[in-house]
Amino acid sequence: MSGGMRLWWSTCPKCRKEFVVAWELRHAKYKLICPYCDHRYLPDESARIDERHTD
Amino acid sequence: MAKGKTGGRPGGARGPKSLRTYLDLIRDDPAEFRTVSRTVNPMNFDVTGLLGVLNARREYPTVQFNNPLDMRGKPSKFPIVTNLWGTRERCAEMVGLKRSEAGVRLGTLLCERIDRKQKPVVIPGRAAPVQQNVLTGKKADLWMFPVVRHFEMDLGGVMLMGLIAKPPREDFYNITFVKVFPEEPQRAGLTVHTLHMSRILREWEARKERCRVAYVLGHHPAFWLGTLNNTPWGDNEYATCGGFLQEPVRLTPSVTWGRDFLVPADAEIVIEGEIIPGERTVVNPFGDISTQYQAQQLGPVMVPKAVTYRDGAIYQDVFSGHREHMLLGSIPREGTIYNQLKHKMGIVTAVHMPYSGCARFTAYVSIKKTEEGQAKTAGLQALAHVPNLNAVVVVDETVDVFNEEEVLWAVNFQVEPRRDITVIENLRPTSDPRAMGAARVIIDATRPTHIAFPTKLKVPQSAMDRMKLDEWLDPVKAAAAKGGAR
Repeated sequence: MSGGMRLWWSTCPKCRKEFVVAWELRHAKYKLICPYCDHRYLPDESARIDERHTD
Repeated sequence: MAKGKTGGRPGGARGPKSLRTYLDLIRDDPAEFRTVSRTVNPMNFDVTGLLGVLNARREYPTVQFNNPLDMRGKPSKFPIVTNLWGTRERCAEMVGLKRSEAGVRLGTLLCERIDRKQKPVVIPGRAAPVQQNVLTGKKADLWMFPVVRHFEMDLGGVMLMGLIAKPPREDFYNITFVKVFPEEPQRAGLTVHTLHMSRILREWEARKERCRVAYVLGHHPAFWLGTLNNTPWGDNEYATCGGFLQEPVRLTPSVTWGRDFLVPADAEIVIEGEIIPGERTVVNPFGDISTQYQAQQLGPVMVPKAVTYRDGAIYQDVFSGHREHMLLGSIPREGTIYNQLKHKMGIVTAVHMPYSGCARFTAYVSIKKTEEGQAKTAGLQALAHVPNLNAVVVVDETVDVFNEEEVLWAVNFQVEPRRDITVIENLRPTSDPRAMGAARVIIDATRPTHIAFPTKLKVPQSAMDRMKLDEWLDPVKAAAAKGGAR
């Protein structure tokens, strides 16, 4: 069985601040919403992605 | 709270129990209730900023903000009240106990109340305070409320009170705390964390039908305590809440669906809405019970159909991730564990879910141990009945589970890790979406009885009993005169 919910961190391409995201949104077609500047962007448009994970 | 005033209706408060009848009981005590009359912007952290300062000072009064701004930055007609459940003592008084009964007794009483259900009564809408004002269509506007943005990384303002729903083919109501993110004036994302509410939403979605819901912003605090227990599927939680209120919950037909969906008549504000099957929106981050942010994720979508509210309605909020949020969930769970252990093993003496475990993820259990193995059995029972637990620490009855220093002493000096720490793997991850695994741990910190083992030091109780400090200690001035005060 896997561990808890898998997370990743997205860095907003506009304000460059990062926030935590559930894995279900990593490859979904939904736009992320930056909680700091409200910029909306697709996951792959993140300025930086941290998806380190251990099982 | 003044002596003799409890969650009942002493002191002259009249009428059915509601948020305002409760506030009337505490509003004259500055240790329990404070007001803020200057204008506050809840979306700019004015509310949580003030609560954060009080929290840092270890002060936990209920606070009413009389002049908040709404989500558009305009003056709101609804004052905010928050931090109702900030101390165990206040929670005890809400359900009719004395402040001195805020320990084990509080948890067990809440469990007893589960079985004292009171059938709700239905009154017509014209007699229901919550329908003194009715807004429908575009006037059912979620942004009219003084929604609070709580923490730095939160996606935005979040409503933090209770959602009521019924499953498709059964006639009972489930009530659970649900976060509502009003992304537009007439559209909101939700996050749902309880098994029963999730099941209800799944059943409606499987039928491709909209799920009717009522979102309640404000009721008597004992009403909410009645929604927090692990009751079986099919339990009508309006009846359970009546047990906690010690009077029947008054219900009234909803504005949108009439008698097919009943709403609490004495609530402050009710949003009648529908959850759209198959539709999702982005919700979170939000700073939640684990005092960490829940990750941005997808959640179901609710659209409001009507907003109803009392004259002078109060918007209720919760200081998430802080004492009141923790106590809201921990006290009923403590009672659940205590009762299970009492019924199945008969050796439990106390249960506490400490703030250090966010009052959700760790339980300290004391037992009157008679043989080895009982501690692990007690730990397994606790894990089985409170699935959110990550760790159970079992100690002897001589250890005060409400004193964390004593518990950690037992862990330090009575635990042999290879023998006394049991990891249970491959369980369902806890409902809190942290990046934690799916294992649990039981720590047997009871004093071993099967091997020769040291005993904790003790000053004779008889010696302490004969000490009257003012008789034995020199007066302070005399000690200082002799140079003893250096």
